[in-house]
Amino acid sequence: SEKKPREPQIPRSLIKEIFRHFAKMPVTRDAFQIVEKCSERYFKQLSNDLEAYTHHAGRKTVEAADLEVLMRRQGLVTDKMPMNVLIERFLPLEYRMLLIPVAVGGNKVIPCK
Amino acid sequence: MAAAGAEERQVLAQRLKAAVHYTVGCLCQEVEEDKDVQFSKQTIAAISEITFRQCEIFAKDLEMFARHAKRTTVTTEDVKLLARRSNSLLKYITQKSEELASSNMEQKEKKRKKSSAAKGERTPGEQEAAVTENEDSNMA
Repeated sequence: SEKKPREPQIPRSLIKEIFRHFAKMPVTRDAFQIVEKCSERYFKQLSNDLEAYTHHAGRKTVEAADLEVLMRRQGLVTDKMPMNVLIERFLPLEYRMLLIPVAVGGNKVIPCK
Repeated sequence: MAAAGAEERQVLAQRLKAAVHYTVGCLCQEVEEDKDVQFSKQTIAAISEITFRQCEIFAKDLEMFARHAKRTTVTTEDVKLLARRSNSLLKYITQKSEELASSNMEQKEKKRKKSSAAKGERTPGEQEAAVTENEDSNMA
């Protein structure tokens, strides 16, 4: 049996886990399938938007600033809810370390910007 | 000093709201004639309030888009980006901006002839944009 090449996607188990964590109630199998479809759609939309914002800034590389503009437009990042607060709240420690500058010993700031 | 400024701002906001309200009334009248329906006064007031608050959102977004492109001036590109999410609206806005650009070119060629005719034919979108720009300059 040969596998046909599928589109890359977020693993189902991960989507399930995250959705279950936030839903806090039983979710049927069909509902999970719909959530999966929605995630796919979401990524399509996301890439289109990021392309537009990056192009708008006259760049060809997507940067953190583009993502922040996108999240502001989505109403996730506001004046009362800065990006860093969201990062602190939703990302595990090792990713937070990569995103939020932290001063460490030896007068170094990680990530170095 | 600060209180006086706040009061002034409030008066200005009232004035802007009144202007929006008047325009919305005119537009609603047009729709009434077109669609043969009646708008109650409350409806018109509600629409103008919605428009006014939407302008705040527009102003903030436009400011953000301009800053994102490392500009301090809001251009038509920012407005297009604002309307990107809805295809039909984007088409409409793009068409309008092209019309504006061509008319601007003509005006430049004519060396600033009196453009009272162009000013009389303002579309609602343009008017909103004008109000938004007004707000934008106030917010800056």
